Amino acid sequence: MENADVFLGLHDFLDRMRQPSASDFVKSIKSFIVSFSNNVADPERDSASIQEFFSNMEAAFRAHPLWAGCSEDELESAGEGLEKYVMTKLFSRVFASVPDDVKLDEQLYEKMALFQQFIRPENLDITPAFQNETSWLLAQKELQKINMYKAPRDKLVCILNCCKVIGNLLLNASVTSNENPPGADEFLPVLIYVTLKANPPQLHSNLLYIQRFRHQSRLVGEAAYYFTNMLSAESFISNIDAKAISMDETEFERNMEFARALLSGLSVDTQDPSSPYPNYGHHPRSEPTTKHRNKALNDNKDPMLQTVSSAAKSKIKKVTSEDELLITEVPSLSDLENKGASMLLKEDKANEVFTEYPYLFSSVGDLTVGDVEDLLNNYKQLVFKYACLSKGLGVSPTSHPPPTPKNKAQDHVETTIEPSDDEPIGANDKLEESNDTTEDSSDKVSLLGEKKIESDLPQDDAVAPKGDTNTETSS
Amino acid sequence: MGCASSIAARDSRQLGFPNSENDGGHDAKNLRVKLVLLGDSGVGKSCIVLRFVRGQFDPTSKVTVGASFLSQTIALQDSTTVKFEIWDTAGQERYAALAPLYYRGAAVAVVVYDITSPDSFSKAQYWVKELQKHGSPDIVMALVGNKADLNEKREVAVQDGIDYAEKNRMFFIETSAKTADNINELFEEIAKRLPRPSAS
Repeated sequence: MENADVFLGLHDFLDRMRQPSASDFVKSIKSFIVSFSNNVADPERDSASIQEFFSNMEAAFRAHPLWAGCSEDELESAGEGLEKYVMTKLFSRVFASVPDDVKLDEQLYEKMALFQQFIRPENLDITPAFQNETSWLLAQKELQKINMYKAPRDKLVCILNCCKVIGNLLLNASVTSNENPPGADEFLPVLIYVTLKANPPQLHSNLLYIQRFRHQSRLVGEAAYYFTNMLSAESFISNIDAKAISMDETEFERNMEFARALLSGLSVDTQDPSSPYPNYGHHPRSEPTTKHRNKALNDNKDPMLQTVSSAAKSKIKKVTSEDELLITEVPSLSDLENKGASMLLKEDKANEVFTEYPYLFSSVGDLTVGDVEDLLNNYKQLVFKYACLSKGLGVSPTSHPPPTPKNKAQDHVETTIEPSDDEPIGANDKLEESNDTTEDSSDKVSLLGEKKIESDLPQDDAVAPKGDTNTETSS
Repeated sequence: MGCASSIAARDSRQLGFPNSENDGGHDAKNLRVKLVLLGDSGVGKSCIVLRFVRGQFDPTSKVTVGASFLSQTIALQDSTTVKFEIWDTAGQERYAALAPLYYRGAAVAVVVYDITSPDSFSKAQYWVKELQKHGSPDIVMALVGNKADLNEKREVAVQDGIDYAEKNRMFFIETSAKTADNINELFEEIAKRLPRPSAS
């Protein structure tokens, strides 16, 4: 992976910026951000000016005594720090900043909400040997994290992680089924399918944002390839018609009708809670908007709606019995898992939910033989909980346990109702107090961002254990 | 199909260049080129790349994500190196319209067909035309007839490939990802044909 070995040194960058000799840099950065905030949004011009600013600043870093004798990696890391700092500050100003983009986001979101109701892997040429809907949830979850971050790199990493999960699953499937190793023929269709099912809000704007504001020198190689695949998936989805998915014209129309009826009939209840398009042009995590809409649409429904998967499961059960006429099929386990995952990902404290599972983010290299017992216990616990939950829900367990068992999830019922607390980053424009403000907001950023880097970047390995469940746990 | 059956056939070819992603230097002596693979699904595009990059497909390796993106550096006799960044594309008909996203900015396009499938040969010709229309004008193109090991099932004559390639000023070669025949030759020949930036 590009930059996998470069720790994203926002802290290191900020440390250097606090040196007296960096005062000119601090001034330039502040004045750039201020000047920017005064202009009207013009995506192309904004992109050009930010790209140019990054290039100039990075060249200046290179020539400055502060970085004298530093390695390329350290300079690269300074560039990353700058990019993350600047883009976090400018996020609310440049993300989905024009009505056209907002509109395209909505259209794409609605399309995906419809297609995901009836698309089958076969429609996209995914051969049976490579089909694995349950495990694809893992990839969906990675992609759904995209709106948790503001920095272009962090968003890009969500896409790359999603691709890695798919790649690993395909690789495992090819080994198990003795198929040829997977190439793009296998990869792209699965990525499209996963994207449709994940349906992350504001996907179009996210992609444009990465394209415009990730420094071009860093959108190269493998990252560029997988990003192109994501653009490609978006393009394919935007143009889906009956022919594109080898469906009979009338059947396609019928499916679309049915999906529309289903969506409007169920409104937001059995759908992902983000189904009503959350909010445009604003911070994508401002949950309250969604909640209000949910509330407005479902006055008679209890607020449990906003909780995590286990609560969601019972909720759905309730709804299915209430609205039987509208719902023709009980949501599948994977739908529930998916729903829970997307809810979970919207929580600020999503990371805490997983602290009970210390191995979730470990890589193979971190483990010792001594961990085996612990791991096995963990595994047994999970399997037991999962099997019970599945039984209770009346669906058959699948090979992959969901990461959110009931009791832990319920601990968060209350906390999730609280509004998102990272609004201040965007709103905080008190540049006079640059250093403090910086420190302040950067901590918030890094709480999400650097934790992510730590946990996600070794994803090569971190992903592998998940992907390996099929082949290796049995051995 | 193609190369899975050859997993056991270990090919110890080592090029001695680890895939370092962060090589900053791209000068006249060290090129970094984007190579896009086009061709019908099932012609063995990814097998060719795996053969080239790893010598074999090693199922225990977790170093990379499948075979849709791989990079490999080769050293040429004139002591220059070429790092290929190989972009695979989905060959199914329904994804054809997406190809321009991938070949944009590519220095090399390798168009692959299966010598046992006339359909894949027509598809290859379609890609060549596409590239001539929309690819960058100085793109280096290679036409590759894969699965040469299946000669007894051959349905596209060698001469047809040669003629078509000649007419379109492409480099032509028949390969077998299964036996590794001509795989290195393909990439070495491409490397030689790359336009060199004027020496600095």
